[in-house]
Amino acid sequence: MSGPLRIVHYVNQFFGGIGGEDQAHVGVSVRAGAVGPGRVLEKALGDDARVEATLVCGDNFASENEADAARAIGAELDRLKPDVLVAGPAFGSGRYGLACALACKVAQGRGIPAITAMHPENPGASNARRGIYIVPTGASTTSMQAALDALAPLARRLGRGQTLGPSEAEGYMPRGTRRVHDRGRPGYQRALDMLLDKLHGRPYRSEVPYAPPERVSPAPPIADLARARIAMVTTGGLVRKGNPDRQVSANAVRYHRHTVAELESLSPAEWEAYHAGYFNHIVNSNPNYILPLSFLRDLERQGKVGRVHEYIYALPGVSTPVAVSAGHGRSIAADLKAGRVDGALLVAT
Amino acid sequence: MISAIYNFALTTGANRVIRGARIEHVCGDPTLSAEKDYAFGMRIVTTALQTLTIAVPGPTLFDPMASGKEAAHAS
Repeated sequence: MSGPLRIVHYVNQFFGGIGGEDQAHVGVSVRAGAVGPGRVLEKALGDDARVEATLVCGDNFASENEADAARAIGAELDRLKPDVLVAGPAFGSGRYGLACALACKVAQGRGIPAITAMHPENPGASNARRGIYIVPTGASTTSMQAALDALAPLARRLGRGQTLGPSEAEGYMPRGTRRVHDRGRPGYQRALDMLLDKLHGRPYRSEVPYAPPERVSPAPPIADLARARIAMVTTGGLVRKGNPDRQVSANAVRYHRHTVAELESLSPAEWEAYHAGYFNHIVNSNPNYILPLSFLRDLERQGKVGRVHEYIYALPGVSTPVAVSAGHGRSIAADLKAGRVDGALLVAT
Repeated sequence: MISAIYNFALTTGANRVIRGARIEHVCGDPTLSAEKDYAFGMRIVTTALQTLTIAVPGPTLFDPMASGKEAAHAS
């Protein structure tokens, strides 16, 4: 390829020299050449690369007017046609991190390679990690030089149309994509080596990435059940008989909320299970096995439970990505809260 | 959370976990007589409701069948 590598750099209002929080509302503007951290970036990139232009956008503008910001960034990229877009580094700044991820997505959508850098816990990294290249940095600007030194060689290669190797070798954060490649030695040999290392107390690294489950603080206890409003949720795939709501039996992208205000129990004539992960016939003879309405009504009558919430929530909890499940959970929890529910029973099959 | 695969629930971070009967019939047992089935299910549900009144430090298992015993912690 001929000519120097042409880079467009995305920064926020602060790094773009416009101002601090008081200027976070400013829209997208463009400066010729490198600005602020762009000069450090240019040095890190070496001789045959230059920052052609710098896109500057206020963090609030980017987060509050995402579509407008994306459109403006896209228009500038269409005009400038860089070899690669570099965004940030955003370090620990959440809105900036999200804006950098947005800029990268806009570029990639146009076939322009893009890369950014931020702290691994930046929401921009956790929300948008899939599909974009993010180099991990420290939480503050003191790691600017290190961040750009790590980012620059990757940006160069992306700009030259090269594909990067796996994240663990290249140093960017995992993007959630898998590619077939040859590790050189068969799995049984690698596994035995790993086992030997483990038995001898030597360091070893699993080839299966482990993402520890999220820790949720336990809800405080209910003081008095006899005054509490209790709701029921099931991941057992409960549907109305004949599945008129067209729920799927696995990998649910939505859950259903049904009213049980008028019901004493769940009748097999009106309810059934539609779930690809277990034998449904037993539940079809008694749906209360996965959503214990009959029991709760008895307890409500006896005064042991204050009130049975009028809505139930149901979906099939099988073959669903954790991120999607977490979204369902957040949404159900928000609805329960809005309904002034004190406690919920979740039955999982 | 009431689940027959309670170890899953504990290791993935559910804080109040109640041991259910079986995957196919979490709150009851159709092999029992109707009366005993109902009593069994009621015991599971009542245990679950009681856990809502207890403070837990983290993932904790409650076994409706282990009457009088202390709750077992996940770790």
